[in-house]
Amino acid sequence: MGSFFSLKEVVRYKTLLSNLARRDFLVRYKQAFAGIIWALVKPLVSILVFGYIASKINSGESTARNFLYVASAMLLWQLFSNVFNEVSNSIVGNANLFSKVYFPKIIIPLSTILVCLVDFVISLLILIVLFIIAGEPVHWQIVLAPLFVLLTLINGFGIGLYFATINVKYRDVKFIVPVLVQFGMYVSPVIFSTAYYLERLPQWLHWLFCLNPMVGAIDGFKYCLFGGEAIYNPQTFALSVGVSFLFLFTGIKYFFKFERSFVDYI
Amino acid sequence: MSKDHIIQVEGLSKQYILNRNAAEKSDTLYGNVLGAVKGLRTIGRKKETEEFWALKNVSFEVERGDRVGVIGRNGAGKSTLLKILSRITPPTKGRIEYTGRMASLLEVGTGFHGDLSGRENIYLNGSILGMSKQEIDKKFDEIVAFSEVERFLDTPVKRYSSGMYVRLAFAVAAHLEPEILIVDEVLAVGDAAFQKKCLGKMQDVSTKEGRTILFVSHNMDAVQKLCNKGLLMHKGELLQQGGIDAVISSYISNNALSNGFFEIEKNQIENLSQMGKVLSVSVLNAHNEVSGEIPTGSSWKISIRFVLEKDHDFFVIGYGFQSLFGNPINTSWSSGRPMKRGVYEAVFSNQEIFYTTGQYKIAVGLSNNNHSYFYNDTESFLTISDAGMAYETERIINKDSGLILNQLPVEIREING
Repeated sequence: MGSFFSLKEVVRYKTLLSNLARRDFLVRYKQAFAGIIWALVKPLVSILVFGYIASKINSGESTARNFLYVASAMLLWQLFSNVFNEVSNSIVGNANLFSKVYFPKIIIPLSTILVCLVDFVISLLILIVLFIIAGEPVHWQIVLAPLFVLLTLINGFGIGLYFATINVKYRDVKFIVPVLVQFGMYVSPVIFSTAYYLERLPQWLHWLFCLNPMVGAIDGFKYCLFGGEAIYNPQTFALSVGVSFLFLFTGIKYFFKFERSFVDYI
Repeated sequence: MSKDHIIQVEGLSKQYILNRNAAEKSDTLYGNVLGAVKGLRTIGRKKETEEFWALKNVSFEVERGDRVGVIGRNGAGKSTLLKILSRITPPTKGRIEYTGRMASLLEVGTGFHGDLSGRENIYLNGSILGMSKQEIDKKFDEIVAFSEVERFLDTPVKRYSSGMYVRLAFAVAAHLEPEILIVDEVLAVGDAAFQKKCLGKMQDVSTKEGRTILFVSHNMDAVQKLCNKGLLMHKGELLQQGGIDAVISSYISNNALSNGFFEIEKNQIENLSQMGKVLSVSVLNAHNEVSGEIPTGSSWKISIRFVLEKDHDFFVIGYGFQSLFGNPINTSWSSGRPMKRGVYEAVFSNQEIFYTTGQYKIAVGLSNNNHSYFYNDTESFLTISDAGMAYETERIINKDSGLILNQLPVEIREING
């Protein structure tokens, strides 16, 4: 039993996985006149606001570069926060399904990832336009960028699974998650770079900052887009990525430990 | 010859923990922290929970191709049993072994989304039930034909009539191809013609394709038609198993042991309404006493207590009288009128029509503005007995005399040719 046994089951239910994602995607923009354009609005507003703030404070860089940094980090952060939020609420939100039919419940949070990923791909348009405006060259590392998108998904999924499980019994989760997302953005290299933070934080707080699994993902993504200097140092990067996988494995384990009794507590 | 067991269930038990004091147990972290602090003061005292065994040590075997009817009153553990068999909830004790693919249909249209079209919902629902895309593609035309909604395939299902909705939902489920199919009371919805079609489909699936079916229903007629084996459940225990006819007749005689007073607990109308509900049904004899048995030929009354939670513009209470197999015999209702909220009692009196001996189901329903929001036909019964026959005892009355025993006036005159 356990997580490896059901991996085979997940494969067997792949049609359900894609159909649930399809449902969420279709339903989201039904009867919305502007439709999919809304996927661009939220990140765009954040980028404009925080890009402006960053370029005022961090005047060492050009305005265009500041906007580009903020945009790349912001898109990835929003991917994380969407996955985290959707995964956390996915089990409770779909209780009507698994209280009447058996299927591996991990399918539900997995399917929400797909929807978030589609939104992310659409929002990449913003980044492309900014690259063109700024005349920023594209580096060879860009081929590695999907790895850090994957790392972001792993972060949102792993941490989200803990909250999805707790949510079954304690509905406080739906209030806690937005607070964590809001706070998390300020302790991640979204508006400013990791270097900017670490130069200003006391030494003893450095390791704590780098325990944040989104530090590795965002720094890695920036490295792929802008080249060398984006990663602060390999140790802190490795630490952060390690935390990502720790969350993933323990999150899955935690989820499967309680999965069978979800129906009795929901 | 060794028997071919497709399902083996051994010592299955399911326990639920009920919080006796629901107000103190909270569903939020804060509430629980608060509760824990309070709990420190009550350490050593007995916990405020109650154990409830929904299933107690149930064991049985099912052979390949069997069609097993699971019957019993509400709260007998039928649905819990099906939920455990279909792996929706784990058992507290015991084990289940089965071979082959199992699919369960505890509700029609699980996962249907109102905003999606019929076509989209067929794929969604099919995949929830465990079908792959190829299987659904292959069966798609059959499903559409069975559901009779071809013209509305691209309409969002929220615009469907409830009949169309149920037809589409059942059509998807009916085209599943599992070795074991578990069905819970889903036929209670839909019109009579469609119910018949569904039963026919299930029969086909089982007899022609040799699939195994476990079927829960309160409709004894349907159970008898479809099933060859039966399991009789009572308060979480398996009372009897065997041929369907024997099991049904013990269920019926079990029900006869009532005292004429029935608490009504379940509303069979799915979208629960807060308008009001029926509390209890009593059967009164000719002396206005609550009675478990009414002698043939004697008058009787059905007294229904109900509560209205809201003011009604046009309130109607209805009562129906059905055979145990679910065939309706008579329906009566009050004339519509406005009603204030409160607790009421309605009494339907039968003085003129004499029914034959036997057991009957009583159906009760409440409605407002021609919209029925409460219905129950599984929890109250009327027993007409042949004890102390009140009239014309010399007449031999038996089942062949028909359902209604009233004698019509007859005149015989000679015709002079």
